[in-house]
Amino acid sequence: MTLVFILFGIFLILGMPVAFAIGIAGFVFFLQQPHLPLTLPVQLILSETQNFNLLAIPMFVFAGNLMNETGITQRLMRFASVLTGHMYGGLAQVSVVLSTLMGGVTGSSIADASMEARILGPTMTEKGYNRGYTAAVHAFSSLITIAIPPGIGLVLYGSIGEVSVGRLFAGGLVPGLLMALFFGITVSITSRKKGYLPEREKRAPLKEILPEFAHSLWAILFPFLLIFALRFGWLVPSEAGAFASVYALVVGIVAYRELKWDNFKRCVKSTIADIGMIMFLIALSALVSYGLKWEMIPQQLTQALLGISSSPSVIFALILVFLLILGMFIDSTVIILLLTAILVPIARQLGLDLVYFGVIMVITCATGLLTPPVGLTMYAVCSIMECSVADFMKEGWPFLVSLIIVIALIVLFPQLILFVPNLLFGT
Amino acid sequence: SAPRYVLRFNHVLAPTHPYHAGFEKWAQRVYERTNGGLQVLVFHSAQLGVEEDILEQIRQGVPVGQNTDAARLGNYVPGIAVLNAPYFVNSIEEVVKLNKLPIIQQWETELAEKYGFKVLSFNWVQGYRHFMTNKLVKTPEDLKGLRIRTPPAPIWQESIRALGAVPTALNFGEVYTAIQQGAIDGAELVYDNITGANLFEVLDYVIETKHFLLVNFEVISSKWFNSLPKEYQRILEEECDRAGLETSYEIERNTEEIKKYVQEKGMKIITDIDMEAFKKAGEGAYKALNLMGVRDEVMKQMQAIE
Amino acid sequence: MNKLKKVYEAVCRVEEALAGFLLVVILVLVFAAAVGRTFGHPISWAMDMSVFLFAWTVFFSADVAMRKDKHVNVDFLVSKLPEKVQYYLKVVNYLIIDAFIAFLIVYGIPLSYFTRFRTFQGIPGFSYMWATLSLPVGGGLLLISSIIKTRQIIRDKPSTHAVKTMPKNMG
Ligand code: NA
Ligand code: NA
Repeated sequence: MTLVFILFGIFLILGMPVAFAIGIAGFVFFLQQPHLPLTLPVQLILSETQNFNLLAIPMFVFAGNLMNETGITQRLMRFASVLTGHMYGGLAQVSVVLSTLMGGVTGSSIADASMEARILGPTMTEKGYNRGYTAAVHAFSSLITIAIPPGIGLVLYGSIGEVSVGRLFAGGLVPGLLMALFFGITVSITSRKKGYLPEREKRAPLKEILPEFAHSLWAILFPFLLIFALRFGWLVPSEAGAFASVYALVVGIVAYRELKWDNFKRCVKSTIADIGMIMFLIALSALVSYGLKWEMIPQQLTQALLGISSSPSVIFALILVFLLILGMFIDSTVIILLLTAILVPIARQLGLDLVYFGVIMVITCATGLLTPPVGLTMYAVCSIMECSVADFMKEGWPFLVSLIIVIALIVLFPQLILFVPNLLFGT
Repeated sequence: SAPRYVLRFNHVLAPTHPYHAGFEKWAQRVYERTNGGLQVLVFHSAQLGVEEDILEQIRQGVPVGQNTDAARLGNYVPGIAVLNAPYFVNSIEEVVKLNKLPIIQQWETELAEKYGFKVLSFNWVQGYRHFMTNKLVKTPEDLKGLRIRTPPAPIWQESIRALGAVPTALNFGEVYTAIQQGAIDGAELVYDNITGANLFEVLDYVIETKHFLLVNFEVISSKWFNSLPKEYQRILEEECDRAGLETSYEIERNTEEIKKYVQEKGMKIITDIDMEAFKKAGEGAYKALNLMGVRDEVMKQMQAIE
Repeated sequence: MNKLKKVYEAVCRVEEALAGFLLVVILVLVFAAAVGRTFGHPISWAMDMSVFLFAWTVFFSADVAMRKDKHVNVDFLVSKLPEKVQYYLKVVNYLIIDAFIAFLIVYGIPLSYFTRFRTFQGIPGFSYMWATLSLPVGGGLLLISSIIKTRQIIRDKPSTHAVKTMPKNMG
């Protein structure tokens, strides 16, 4: 397996698409094993698509894209503007609030960050916001969408680690809101320093806020409906995804009347491309996963890690640092795909709650999306905002600090994560 | 030195299930008797993959093994499914006898020669499956309209339908919440499953219908099996049979304790049911799946060896 | 040649439409199964049918994603190299990818035939072969796209070769 990981690294660095880098490196494992037939890797790739739980991913991607086509984004943005227009760095605050609201619609950080950078970015540049600062605000606040349900990372972790997706979704809620709070504070402090002025003099009156709230209600309600549907056992996660898509369709056709045949077709097309990208990556990663299982690496690693220290906290801290560093080099989806099966048994041995561990793992890995050298969300916003990674980091560090504070808080106070799932699902 | 042969053996049960300890015992004895030449690595909780996939890997000649059942092997040799039909096998002693029947050996030969499955053992018995519900059930009519979770294979579905209920396919892991929230009305399981998933919290009754005695097959690749030295082949089979029988009897003994435990947890065990009516209803499954002929043949051979 | 190109473009359109159609069918099926179960009419074949259709959706979509340049890559290091080196790296990368896809097809066809006995548990008599086939068939289309891409890259001489590919929609 050593060769597999070395090759994976080389292919990645040399610019091969991630899906192929992982697939081809994983394939080499089968070439090394003379008693494994070469039809086996083909079977494994196919099998990955036969997992009913993973159907939740295309269903939620579809739901998110449908919501976008219904014009929900514009409504949420108007709502976010009336809420935060009177604050320092008004447009940056809009980005934070918008990501929080969008969290209930999309589960992907890159999609959220790119969308907001495209929509809000140009206006912010016009109003004198530094490009690097704008990029950083959109990129960091997009992490909120990963924690607020639904989130693809949580679905993946839940289906690989056999942890209740409903509980994980519920567990992500408070950390998502905490991030929103901390990023909001960070925007306030930094904007005051930089002189990014409020959009309006006074707080918007309630009679201005309420109509915008009503327009956005369908999207705001959604994550709560989702958690409740899972809580009451009406739906398993894939069905919840289908329900989400149907919900988006109904909202688009009946409530907003903006979803027409043309934008529906466009939406299906873009969903297909998104699914092709993410599912192909997931399918091809099956080769590396099988190699890991075959060599019993999860079991060996568990033994090795438990041998390092007798203190669960020390081992847990080591795992987090490891994930943080790994996240800088490898995409968070890939880490979740490969390491969930390894880390869940370890977490169990350490006596950690698997929902608590999962939420922290997903957020920690996702932090890597925003840091050099390999941060996909960072690249995406930097290219849209036409700024350098250096600018991004120079302006982004206060956000990184607050993100790390949030992670530290949820690590130290497990109830921040577990309170909601325990309340809804029982202990 | 490293073992010359390594078999990776997969099962979907939890590490706390008596089968896991049984497989480990088997692995241990094989290792000792072959002086470390043949090693069996046991993977619990489907760590190596889902059952259907592992079965296909076995067919491709991958040195892996799987704990499986008659319903799945019935995909390849249809007659085998009969072993998974209602009230077909009724005791561990009968299972031991079944092992000796020409028809069973014929099936095993077909599995090996046509499909590449080597059956190492067919005497791992998990126990009786019963209906577990929140409604008091005494006759097949009482099951009418109840959505009962069962595996998706045709033999399971038809059997549960024949016994009167509405078969509902669902992953075992989702049974608890599904019952709790009324998405289904119950399940048909062995006693072990109740404690494994804390089902006593959401279910009131165990209806002791004993409609199946769940017997498992331990299968590996025949291609790989044939590549082993004769001596190793013999040890691998002998020890698998031995550990299987020991484990089956152990589970039978444990069941009494589990019964006491679930009763303490508030479940009621219902034994005064109309067993004749259930047995009669069960016939429907044989008819629906065209298994009457096979059943009669097996019965005939059973009587012949008595 | 032009005619061939037109045929291929038509195939691509059909592929994308089919993938989209299957996605919608899966959505309806999964939703209907949940509703059906809640009202006491479980659809026993829905789960298996939806994953069967999903296999085809995934491999068709993978090809669509490739044609739309959606497969994410990392180029922070590559983009700093001289253009000529970048050119050769890209050519090598795509030749390896072509070979890998070709392998999937070559082994996927016998595997499809081999899995003909396996049936979907929830759909009596429905052979798993029809799912396995999605890989060689989707792989065939993927290989065509990949070879076209390889040819384009080889034709793109280093001097005109522009660094592109920004990751999208991931994370
Ligand atoms: Na944002
Ligand atoms: Na989300």
